[in-house]
Amino acid sequence: MNTLAFSQIEAEAVETFTLDNGMKFLVVEDFSIPNANMYLFYRVGSRNEHQGITGLSHFFEHMMFNGSKKYGPKLFDQTMEYNGGSNNAYTTKDVTVYSDWFPASATEVIFDLESDRIADLSIDPKMVESERGVVLSERRTGLENSPWRSLGQAVQATAFQEHPYHWPVIGYEDDMKHWTQQNLEQYFETYYAPNNCVVVISGAVEADEIKRLAKQYMEPIPAQPDPPEIFLTEPPQNGERRITVQKDVASPYMMIAYRTPETKDEDYYALDILSSLLTNGKSSRLYKSLVDNQLAAGVFVNFGFSFDPSLFSIYVVTNADVTTETVEEKIYAEIDKIKVSGITDQELQKVKNQKLMEFYKQVETIDGKSNNIGAYELYFGDYKKMFDAPAHFNKVTIEDIQRVAKTYFTKSNRTVGVLKTDVEE
Amino acid sequence: MKNIKIVNFLVCLMLTMPLISVAQSYELPEHTSFKMPNGLTVYLMEQSDVPVISVSVTLPGGAIYDGDQGGLASLTASALKHGTQNYTKSELDENLDFVGASLNTYAGKETAGLSAKFASKDQEEVLKLIKEVILNPAFEVEEFKKEKKRVLVSLEKEKESPRSVIGDFFNKMLYGDHVYGNKTKGFKSTVSTLTIDDVKDFYKAHYLPNNAAISIVGDFSTKAMQKKISKLFAHWKAGEISEDLSKQLIPKPKETRVLLVNKGDAKETTFYVGSRGISRNNPDYVAIEVINTLFGGRFTSMLNDELRVNSGLTYGAGSKFRTYKYGGSFNISTFTATETTEAAIDKTLDVLDKLLKSGIDEESLISAKNYVKGSFPTDYETTTQLADLLTDMFWFDFDQSFINNFEKNVDALTLKKANQIIKEYFPAKHLQFVLIGKSEVIKTIAKKYGKLIEVDIKSEPVSAY
Repeated sequence: MNTLAFSQIEAEAVETFTLDNGMKFLVVEDFSIPNANMYLFYRVGSRNEHQGITGLSHFFEHMMFNGSKKYGPKLFDQTMEYNGGSNNAYTTKDVTVYSDWFPASATEVIFDLESDRIADLSIDPKMVESERGVVLSERRTGLENSPWRSLGQAVQATAFQEHPYHWPVIGYEDDMKHWTQQNLEQYFETYYAPNNCVVVISGAVEADEIKRLAKQYMEPIPAQPDPPEIFLTEPPQNGERRITVQKDVASPYMMIAYRTPETKDEDYYALDILSSLLTNGKSSRLYKSLVDNQLAAGVFVNFGFSFDPSLFSIYVVTNADVTTETVEEKIYAEIDKIKVSGITDQELQKVKNQKLMEFYKQVETIDGKSNNIGAYELYFGDYKKMFDAPAHFNKVTIEDIQRVAKTYFTKSNRTVGVLKTDVEE
Repeated sequence: MKNIKIVNFLVCLMLTMPLISVAQSYELPEHTSFKMPNGLTVYLMEQSDVPVISVSVTLPGGAIYDGDQGGLASLTASALKHGTQNYTKSELDENLDFVGASLNTYAGKETAGLSAKFASKDQEEVLKLIKEVILNPAFEVEEFKKEKKRVLVSLEKEKESPRSVIGDFFNKMLYGDHVYGNKTKGFKSTVSTLTIDDVKDFYKAHYLPNNAAISIVGDFSTKAMQKKISKLFAHWKAGEISEDLSKQLIPKPKETRVLLVNKGDAKETTFYVGSRGISRNNPDYVAIEVINTLFGGRFTSMLNDELRVNSGLTYGAGSKFRTYKYGGSFNISTFTATETTEAAIDKTLDVLDKLLKSGIDEESLISAKNYVKGSFPTDYETTTQLADLLTDMFWFDFDQSFINNFEKNVDALTLKKANQIIKEYFPAKHLQFVLIGKSEVIKTIAKKYGKLIEVDIKSEPVSAY
């Protein structure tokens, strides 16, 4: 493997420093286009909520755009766009991530904007009310346009009964209508501290200049006490769980979700390979057995990053003339084959080759660099793990694959959800 | 998430900033092009930051050639990957998957094409497969039947999501029987009648090198690649090009109409408001993009500011000019809770009215110019984006001056000209509405805006309304 022969895609291309207030910076100089970006990863997500304030992390993400001391309501976006920049943000179970994309010449303006809202966000009650309408619309349009939304929420709530992954990131509709000013103020103070944030910058910028700007704009912002630890752990699952959801659909949707460990666990790489093996490409095992055989319209696996143990979820859209039972049995049969007979060398090598291509695509843009470097820093505890990923995947053996299949893909460790029109049959 | 990705977003009065202009020169990287004896145009561009190669092929084989066989162009494109003279379908899938390569064939409205990406070390193997897929498809009947069934299932499934189908309803409203109203994926009623012979005939008629282009961008040497491609595609035989029916006149809307699409279980109303747009080669293309940025193309745009930021009626509102070779459409799009349908439509029309009556001011224009210039280079960063750009240049007949003079052209737009463009290209009358939602609740509201046409979401927009 010759991945390390390219200067842009090795860990040494990342410069790092930490300010006195604990804010960590990761910088990649890349002059391929005259642009740059800034990604701010805050360690706060729906995992840090409790019932009564569900959805608050995501709502807060929205409120970060609604005015601070120097830049009042609307001015954050207006100033950024005036300077040729654009932005977006997303919230997950674990993190809230803000991204700014801009011409490199506007870097200082971006520092001014970001530092102002971290230091002195104002939470205007009028803005809170109109933004509440926005997130309610976001929730509604998600449910309106994708059956996966309703089914995914039901499966998650069934698989997690005590841990905060129980509720959806968007929140409960009733909680969304009742967040208070005090909830928001407390959230800001607790989680929006420089020491709870990792900043990643990639593009046509010089690391020394970034350091100077970081010291000028970010360092004066005081650190805060560490946020409270999340002590809730989900008790072991001791039996299969099943859940049905009604929605008018042309044919049923199904999810089979197995409880799996957090990203930092050593089994991550084997499980991730297993996910590709099952559904990545038309030669993958479940595609061949379900889609190619006309039992399903589509099948895919979601196995993402997480701070705490989460789910390995298989998603299937069944064909109209096929029962969900038939499809379910087929999936278990394919999993059993792996448990009993393992996989071939050829298959393992295939997924490793696919992983290398995935890596190339991640580092091909300045956007992909920042987003992935930041994600590895947070979920693996070290951005260098991103550059080592192809090597880690290469170490996985057929025995590892078989072992993780046997360990996690058991009946008592799964939650099965079905969404269909007729739930009385 | 702060913004939805699929809607283009949104006005802005910068009172606190001095009038500055963002400048950053971006030029198209060097590339070569040549025409093969059979007429195939080839573009080659070396990019060696990452050891990958992207390939884009484009040819006139899109849905505008479907006739009354809706979905034929699309099924033909998919069938290219069902095995070839020298590879079975599963050999093809396995060989591509084994090296982590992607190779997709597709049909759009006007063109069909192929898009591939792979590690440069695998170029011999993958280029050979690209040639196989385009030149030697086997059109195996069993695979065709399976694909047809998958398409029929997906046509049922798309009715579950208003966002997936609203564009098709709108196009039929706007274009009527003009070929730009053809729905790429077709309809249940048309797809179910298609046969493998239809596919073979379509392939023979449209997959010709003499009006096609292939672009290759990535980590390779131009000289070696030129030789390789010339050899691989030498035996692709030229033929007679079909007439391009999209040149026919697009009917002009004569009255304001509202297509109300009933979705019985809807909790929100998804709507488009629009009219005719422009073709890709319109001389005012760049200027129109700058103004649309202000109106509905970014977060602070007039539409998003009013419908989202000021009133909380929606998660997002935007507008778009969709351009084809000989015409195009303009539409505003947004969604809101069923009970706020009227408020959202009224505000949408108010914002359009404001643009038409008051125009824009100097500060807003500078902001929009900076915005489009600032994000321009990120559209041409990857080998795939650059490969697509080169085949777009071929199809729409523009050259690298579009890229290299982009900043200059943006800067050249004066306020006077901008306000003329608003009057010329943004629709003031005979608007076409499509509303997808719960008819029994919103019907009386819908009627208010124009001549009402009612259909169900399960219906298929096969013929003109």
